[in-house]
Amino acid sequence: MKRITLKKFIPTSFRDKHKQDLNQRTVISRIHRMDESELQALKRRTNIVIFIILALFGILVIRLWFLQILRGSQYLKMSENNRIRLQWLPAPRGNILDRNGRPLIVNRPYFNVTWNKEDAPDPELIIRKMAAILKVNVSEILKRIREAADYPRHLPILLKEDIDWPTLVYIENHQYELPGIHIETLPSRKYNFGNLASHLVGYLGKINEKELKKFGDSYLPSDQIGKMGIERIYEKLLRGEKGRRYVEVDVHGFEQREIMEQDPLPGKDLKLTIDINLQQTAERALQGKAGAVVMMDVNSGRLLVLASSPPLQLQEFIGGISSKNWKAMLNDPLKPFINKTIQGQYPPGSTYKIITALAGLSEGAITPDTIFNCAGSMLLYGRRYHCWKRSGHGAVNLKKALRESCDIYFYHVGLKVGVNNLAKYAISMGLGRKTGINMPNEKPGLVPTKSWKIRRYKQEWQEGETMSVAIGQGFNLVTPLQICEMTATLANGGTRYRPQFVESVIDADGKVVRGFRAKIDGHALGSKHSLALIRAGLVAAVNEKHGTGSVAKMKSILVGGKTGTAQVVRLAQYRHLPAKDIPYKYRDHAWFTCFAPAGKPQIAITVLVEHGRHGGSEAAPIAKALLEQYFNGKAAKHPTDK
Amino acid sequence: MFRFDRRLILNFDWILLLTVLAVIGMGLVNLYSATTNGYTSSHIFIKQIYFYIIGLGLVVTIISVDYRVLISWNYVFYGVIILLLIMAKFFGNSAGGAQRWINLGFFKLQPSEPAKLAMVICLASYYYRKDTGKGFSLRELLAPGLLAGIPFVLILKQPDLGTALMIAMIAVSMTLFVKLRWSTLIIIITACMIIAPLGWKFALKPYQQQRIETFLHPEGDPLTTGYHIMQSKIAVGSGRAFGKGFLKGSQAHLDFLPEHHTDFAFSVWAEEFGFAGSVFFLACYTFMLLLGLNIALSARDKFGVLLAFGIVALIFWQAFINLAMILGLLPVVGMPLPLFSYGGSSLLTNMAGLGILFNIRMRRFMVQTT
Repeated sequence: MKRITLKKFIPTSFRDKHKQDLNQRTVISRIHRMDESELQALKRRTNIVIFIILALFGILVIRLWFLQILRGSQYLKMSENNRIRLQWLPAPRGNILDRNGRPLIVNRPYFNVTWNKEDAPDPELIIRKMAAILKVNVSEILKRIREAADYPRHLPILLKEDIDWPTLVYIENHQYELPGIHIETLPSRKYNFGNLASHLVGYLGKINEKELKKFGDSYLPSDQIGKMGIERIYEKLLRGEKGRRYVEVDVHGFEQREIMEQDPLPGKDLKLTIDINLQQTAERALQGKAGAVVMMDVNSGRLLVLASSPPLQLQEFIGGISSKNWKAMLNDPLKPFINKTIQGQYPPGSTYKIITALAGLSEGAITPDTIFNCAGSMLLYGRRYHCWKRSGHGAVNLKKALRESCDIYFYHVGLKVGVNNLAKYAISMGLGRKTGINMPNEKPGLVPTKSWKIRRYKQEWQEGETMSVAIGQGFNLVTPLQICEMTATLANGGTRYRPQFVESVIDADGKVVRGFRAKIDGHALGSKHSLALIRAGLVAAVNEKHGTGSVAKMKSILVGGKTGTAQVVRLAQYRHLPAKDIPYKYRDHAWFTCFAPAGKPQIAITVLVEHGRHGGSEAAPIAKALLEQYFNGKAAKHPTDK
Repeated sequence: MFRFDRRLILNFDWILLLTVLAVIGMGLVNLYSATTNGYTSSHIFIKQIYFYIIGLGLVVTIISVDYRVLISWNYVFYGVIILLLIMAKFFGNSAGGAQRWINLGFFKLQPSEPAKLAMVICLASYYYRKDTGKGFSLRELLAPGLLAGIPFVLILKQPDLGTALMIAMIAVSMTLFVKLRWSTLIIIITACMIIAPLGWKFALKPYQQQRIETFLHPEGDPLTTGYHIMQSKIAVGSGRAFGKGFLKGSQAHLDFLPEHHTDFAFSVWAEEFGFAGSVFFLACYTFMLLLGLNIALSARDKFGVLLAFGIVALIFWQAFINLAMILGLLPVVGMPLPLFSYGGSSLLTNMAGLGILFNIRMRRFMVQTT
């Protein structure tokens, strides 16, 4: 049987070759015989083959050992990074409230489009699609991508800020065609009162590379950060803490499932000491002018008003200010970028007579009854020094000198105590150094001394210069905040409180995390009695006949105040002109500083109007308006919010 | 018609069968993981099971016929294969720019796969009939060179570098196995060293050149050309000692791993079962190959020895190149892991090869009886 079978399966050619012996066994034994010697050789070689197989597979095992055991954790981390995507959940920023809890600045959500490069398999297609959807040029998107080239790859690139609602809806509906494109919901600032207190509250802007480097991990390149004012100073409190969401994504960046979510921690609310109504009144009064208003609680240092004019256009800063508007602000002659309350340095003018009077009384150079005669001018070393009132004040004592702001009187006092003594008292009242308010770039002002002049000008001090200093002209420079602090110190009997503008920090649960604590920075030199005498002079200046500050007089409340006119230049050519004919930039600055009520002072107000010429006519009415509002209850009412 | 001989059963290599089934089992487990959507098995998995069943049928068919018929049937096979390769070139379906498949309706045949086996049979038959006591001279290599050269060129033109190299590897392995003259060997090596750079320049397509360059510097561009190697290494490495667990390999399940059910199937295995699982797999595989060599040793005729050796070489080289590629030791070429990767043509070819191995083993008694 088997023979037949084999015959059938072995083709004829084979059969022919071995046709002399078709017996199967013979065929096979013949094959066997043919092979015998070679067969043994082949089998010997098989051992080499076994060796080669074992060696090469051994290499594979060593490689597996290297990859899985030696480098295993490294590759595990890479596989985790492959699949697990961390999403940041923005934390709502803290609100900024006024002293009555009225919201000054709150949040509104706005939507950014971001792109995760790693998740996008076909970048070019996405870029083209997105340019069409966002209605921007491809080149603009490419520019943003280039700018982000230095950021780590897995961080999303911001393609467009603050997209409108239809665009948002479109992107949300087409998410599956747009791998890697994400909508980021960001809380943005809403300014309930427009530009109110703009210099104080400041603004947010896109974080720059320098800030990103400085603050490290806690920010993303698309984040906003406080650039100025409270937004910057209290950035840490306001911003809260981002939440995290870990999701598993596939190779195309589509989310498969959520692994973990950690809610964001909202930022803390900041309750200010500022009163929105008073601030509004002050800013309205300053409209169109360059100047500053500071209003302070004399018994704590709380600032009720901190206004600098013109304001910053805060709306412009949302989503990044254009360079055109930026330049326009920079070139504005009224200099909106300067926060005049702390950065504007002006000669104090007659407000400085408070210092001179204090120095005179305390140093024993004068008593309240010391009389100097004012003939309108006086001669010193062959030079004539004038009183502002050319006809003269006649016999002048301290009260009259303060009431009518007699220059001759204070020339005498100044000469008697000397410039260094004036400086001593000025410094004790907070002039010539930063008040320590928690704002960056505060200017210290300048209180001249003899040694200062030698250091600065390499020249001896001249007696005539002492006379200028005594009436607040010459080298002296002050900021409106300093004058307000000086007035407050005078009003409260000599305690110098640190000016502050934060009442409390409130967390998301409404709990007060940090409350207001008054800080005393020092005490005025000189007795309480001397301060009382000066206050009486200031009350007279507002309330008595011939008083320079009579504009600020109130019916119900006794106000004490001092006007000031700070000379900008001493150009003789303008001296004789009527005030309104002098070019704006050469006009004198107008000061008015006051406290009230005289019996038990609560508040101090300082007003500076740049180039306002006369303190009595330009600055005092602004203070008056605030006084009225504060004391006659108008502050309690809330006019309609803007 | 065919009288059943009990000795056929007695000589059947049951251990090899068990080892093969173990490897196939691991392949199926892995394929399930690589292709499942998390709830049900995919149609790919089901299809592969059909192929295994067809493959087992093929094995049974093959072992029922004495392997020695192949000695003279070889040129018929050879002719059919060449014809299929030419057909593939002109009528084939293209995949990724290469004409590799012939659509047979129920399944797409890749003629380059059976061509590998045909190559083995052909050369075994040729060398069996050539009596060369002192080793082959260069002129005597002309015929086998031509035999291997035709399918080599046809497959290279598809273009399928991996399979073409495989044909060359088999031809070289088998020729070395039957013994060359030393002088011949030296001449060939010298010639290769001269031809290789020219081949790089003229024979390789740009994408093939790039694959090799990518292999040399995979981290250079991890998102495009170095991607496969990088992701494969991440998959294997992240498995660590004991793996991430069955169905838990994130690289494959989130599609980071390309071709994870075909050429890169082993990456999935290594990711999910770690070093322990990988070594276990390699041990089974090596054992299977050694059993194959054992069959070569036990064969009682030169044809059997050559045939068994050729089949072991075929499976071994494919496996080694595939694994070395997955582990980042060799450039990426299209090369499945025999019995493990998904793919009907490859599976049926390798099963047929195993069938021949069983066949040789079963019939070793036939010579012993003399």
